[in-house]
Amino acid sequence: MVAAGKQDALLAQMRKGTLQYCVLALLVNEERYGFDLVRALAEMDGMVTSEGTIYPLLSRLRRDGLVETTWRESTSGPPRRYYKLTTAGRASLDAFKGEWSRFRDAVDHFVEREAG
Amino acid sequence: MSTTPDKLVERYLKHLEVELDDVPRDRRREIVDEIAGHIAEARAGLEHESEADVRNILEGLGDPADIAEDARERFDVQPPAQAQPFKPGWMEIAALVLLLIGGIVIPFFGWVIGVVLLWASNAWNVRDKIIGTLVVPGGLGLSLFLLLYAASSSGGGGSLGTLCEVDPTSGREFNCSSQASSSTGVGFTDVLGILLLIAVVIAPVLTTAYLGYRLRRRPVAAVA
Repeated sequence: MVAAGKQDALLAQMRKGTLQYCVLALLVNEERYGFDLVRALAEMDGMVTSEGTIYPLLSRLRRDGLVETTWRESTSGPPRRYYKLTTAGRASLDAFKGEWSRFRDAVDHFVEREAG
Repeated sequence: MSTTPDKLVERYLKHLEVELDDVPRDRRREIVDEIAGHIAEARAGLEHESEADVRNILEGLGDPADIAEDARERFDVQPPAQAQPFKPGWMEIAALVLLLIGGIVIPFFGWVIGVVLLWASNAWNVRDKIIGTLVVPGGLGLSLFLLLYAASSSGGGGSLGTLCEVDPTSGREFNCSSQASSSTGVGFTDVLGILLLIAVVIAPVLTTAYLGYRLRRRPVAAVA
């Protein structure tokens, strides 16, 4: 029971740590507004448990200069805040991609061999 | 009676605002505004909105407490200390004791040490510390000093008086008012002096009680 709880906490931490790069990646080709980002993330099962936690993250990314925002009129309601990747955000994402694939390969190397 | 969707949303946002209390104001505003926008966006996409739909939207967003915890983590805000209740140590106890009676044990300096300990402790916020320092400088030491001063000066005919005076020749105590009535009556300054003395005794006791009460509350959360 304790081990399972620890594992859950670890997975939650991994999710939390990688979420920001998923958000940055979603912004590579297009600007998106918050609700749209949440919808896109929710399509992948297990990435976001509480959708609301995206918003503190977006606020942080903006303050760190990794994204910038502009308000745009919406046809269906009040104006929306659109998020756009900055050069710094792009660089941060690229750096993570390299690290991530190395990390993933290393873990796979052991975990997959054990499983197979 | 069921709750209207608007009420549900309003309650959720209010709850969120409260949970985000220790997150810096501009960030709190931004997060609450964005989440309000998210809810409006999701509701606009519904064909026939029901209470259950709105409940699902709010549940998808998650517990305001979880969102607030995430925000604190993202912005390096110390979590509220309720989780680990502050345990007053010797320094806080010594500060309280010295503030109250330190000035009697070691005239004046005992109280000064109390003030130093008060400011060195992080159990109180600045407002508490200012109150502790200014109400009353010297603590009960000041009260004692004033009592002695009043007693000696009233014996010499002074007016900052106690209720009873001592006849300098016989050492016999007699009632001020009966004695005083033969000369000038109980003067306004006498009454004022007595009230002042009572205030000077009660104020440090109340201050100490207040600081003791504040000890049991959590220290203020700090932004790193």
